Amino acid sequence: MLSLNIDLLANGLIMGSFYALMAIGLTLIFGLLQIVNFAHGEFYMVGAYAYTLAALKLGLPAWAGLPVAFAVGALVGWLTERTLMRPLYAGYRSWGPMKDEYAIVVTFALSLLLINLVDKVIGPYAVLGPGLVDVARIPLGPVMLTGQKLIATIIAFSTIIATALFIRYSLWGRQIRAVAQNRLGASLAGIDTTKASSIIFALSGALAALSGGLLAPIINTTPDVGSFPAIKSYVIVVLGGMGSIPGSIAASLILGVLESFGAVYISYDYRDAFGLVILIVVLLVRPQGLFGEKGREV
Amino acid sequence: MRSALQQRLRSELRTSLVLLVLVAAVPILVRNDYWLGVLIVSMYFALLAGGWNLLAGYTGQFSLAPATFAMLGAYGTGLLAYHWHVSPWLTIPAGILVAMVVGMVLAGIVMRLRGPYLALTTLSFAEIMRIVIGNSYGFTRGDLGLSIPTLMNDRLAWYYVFLAAVVAMQFGLYALLRSRVGLYLMAIRDDEIGAASRGVNTVFWKTASFTLSSALSGLAGVLYAYFSSLVSPELGLLLQTGLVICMVFIGGIASLAGPVIGAFLVYLTSESLRAVGGVQLIVFALLVILIARFFRDGLWGLARRILERPAR
Amino acid sequence: MKVLEARGVTKSFGGLKAVDGVSFGVDYGELVGLIGPNGSGKTTLINILSGHLAADAGEILVDGKPMRGLTPLRASRGGIQRMFQLTRVFRRMPALDNLVTAGCALGMALDAAQARARELIEELQLARVATLDAGHLSGGQQKLLEFGCCFMAQPKIALLDEPFAAVHPTMKEIMAGFIRRRHAAGQTFLIVSHDMPVIVELAARTICMNAGEVLADGETRKVLVNPQVIEAYLGGEAA
Repeated sequence: MLSLNIDLLANGLIMGSFYALMAIGLTLIFGLLQIVNFAHGEFYMVGAYAYTLAALKLGLPAWAGLPVAFAVGALVGWLTERTLMRPLYAGYRSWGPMKDEYAIVVTFALSLLLINLVDKVIGPYAVLGPGLVDVARIPLGPVMLTGQKLIATIIAFSTIIATALFIRYSLWGRQIRAVAQNRLGASLAGIDTTKASSIIFALSGALAALSGGLLAPIINTTPDVGSFPAIKSYVIVVLGGMGSIPGSIAASLILGVLESFGAVYISYDYRDAFGLVILIVVLLVRPQGLFGEKGREV
Repeated sequence: MRSALQQRLRSELRTSLVLLVLVAAVPILVRNDYWLGVLIVSMYFALLAGGWNLLAGYTGQFSLAPATFAMLGAYGTGLLAYHWHVSPWLTIPAGILVAMVVGMVLAGIVMRLRGPYLALTTLSFAEIMRIVIGNSYGFTRGDLGLSIPTLMNDRLAWYYVFLAAVVAMQFGLYALLRSRVGLYLMAIRDDEIGAASRGVNTVFWKTASFTLSSALSGLAGVLYAYFSSLVSPELGLLLQTGLVICMVFIGGIASLAGPVIGAFLVYLTSESLRAVGGVQLIVFALLVILIARFFRDGLWGLARRILERPAR
Repeated sequence: MKVLEARGVTKSFGGLKAVDGVSFGVDYGELVGLIGPNGSGKTTLINILSGHLAADAGEILVDGKPMRGLTPLRASRGGIQRMFQLTRVFRRMPALDNLVTAGCALGMALDAAQARARELIEELQLARVATLDAGHLSGGQQKLLEFGCCFMAQPKIALLDEPFAAVHPTMKEIMAGFIRRRHAAGQTFLIVSHDMPVIVELAARTICMNAGEVLADGETRKVLVNPQVIEAYLGGEAA
């Protein structure tokens, strides 16, 4: 019994680390522009395909697929910012009242576009990516893990830590935080706010794509594979307090563990519904999120 | 004396009625069951698009779940008909009521908040409702769907039932939007804080708009359930919501005529392009992005600009 | 009888006390000016009075009754009408319908609101742009329109936050004339402004805030020559 619980906890934390990798990108964009990117799941999907096809079509070794996925994701994110996000801050005062709806519609349409484009070009069939390691099972104390899961988790955690350090300490990271706090102020201080947005979108795309690449050997990739990771990320962003990075990491781990236990102790069929239940409870009780604080309005 | 807004609504209503009269006349020329079916489905989407436009176009609340409420309406009806063989006189209102009540509860939770919460919550709600219904094999028969007895076998009769529903919706929306309620909704859309400061009960009217929009979706779902005699989770696919949004944006958001025009145009194009294979959604998605970026008010807005020029 | 009264109202943002123990009252029929250097807490105070912000401490009384949990909606329905520093009009709605909305929301019938809106739009000399969407109006016209929205029903008190800032002199005169006429007819006002000549002309009484506190409250002429007020202005910025 105890060992089952430890196993569930470990698996929950592992899923949580993938969720976090997804959710951080979404959180960064929300923190910067106060918009939600509804094409975030498609960044994940693009990464999963990039990883898989790099190995299957180009014959690259599996591990080389990860930087490919990262780079393709960064490119898609960067292009999204260049082509679609500019009106949000070009004349952003006059766009003010319509900002939310523009962002929702454009990113939702982008998601539709990417799914159908991939469906047309690559095809609707499911593909499974090659594993990073051959080792089938590694005992880690009482927990048995597949080699793929273990190594993917290690990469996910290191990337999360690296991203957090990047945002916290690097010059670019500081500029990004300045822009997130006050776009106009940052631009007056000589920070290139447009470049900061480009970096954020590229980073956000790259992280989502990397998590797609990491999970491609575990979860079958199809054109609409991104919808679930994306929805988990939306729930996490609300739980984590809309824009807080530590909040979204904590929320990811909490959600991963809750789902892992819920699938065994409550219902396996409805494991994906727990997120919604939590989301609604949080919206009712603490709308600023578990870790967020109330902002100033007007 | 009519205000500029009321005149605008009137001309939009008139245009959409002209289109619907043409649609009413189609069966004189076309008796092909397949194309009548295509037009019926277009009208199903017109109901969804009209409902979503009330919420998004006039109230500024971007729900991402119109198809989900159609699915809920269809299941409300379908489960009663399948398990308990309840009379359609009861199942039809029951289906609409299910969509309405669920919509009201969800709105009650989310509408106290501003910003992207509604879009986030409705999208999560949409995907998870589909999973819940798809996984409840015992009750809903999961992805197999429920087959229920149809009410009429005559396709032409169904054609006019759907048409009547769309016409009724247009008159209903017109009456609503030209009243003070229309002003409240548009005020909320344009500036929620401003609206509350002028004395508009924003939470109440947002919730009302969401409830009404859900009811329209529910109505569409209920009619479709009996028309196709099959209720399945596919009704609630995110793709269907995507189609509704494409229709409203391509036709012209925040107008009475736009969504109806868009529904026919998009669905007919989509059916004609089916032979070419799967490119239609790519085209529609691109169009929506271009319209949102450069025109905003879609085909109807374009037409209005052309029509109004010689008049001045 | 006091129409609106603040007692010990306090509000902090993070460590900053934006409004610190402010008390004052406005009598029926008074026109009070509210001045103070930038950042002195004027807008925050107005936001609290109109229900847009909740005070950390202190209370707001309307007609002598304490208002708990004041929201913008309750304030508006209770007769506190406000104008924002950054204009909030309904941009995709014709100018006239902006006024009609404000009237209906406060309980007027649609016909009555339309008739009243037409009178008001004439008086504000906006009739020429009545059918244009409010978003297409100039900045000054939008301000004038929002100003008009406050007077669709008879408010108990109108809170005007910088009504004259960045407004063309002609429109400023339309607004000032409107205020003068309504004040003569008994309307109560609280006007935030940096425009000293207008304050001197309109307001018999002025409150000066600095660093979140009331520095001076009294007859306008006396407040403006109060050494502390001059010090606050010259110390902060030359006005």
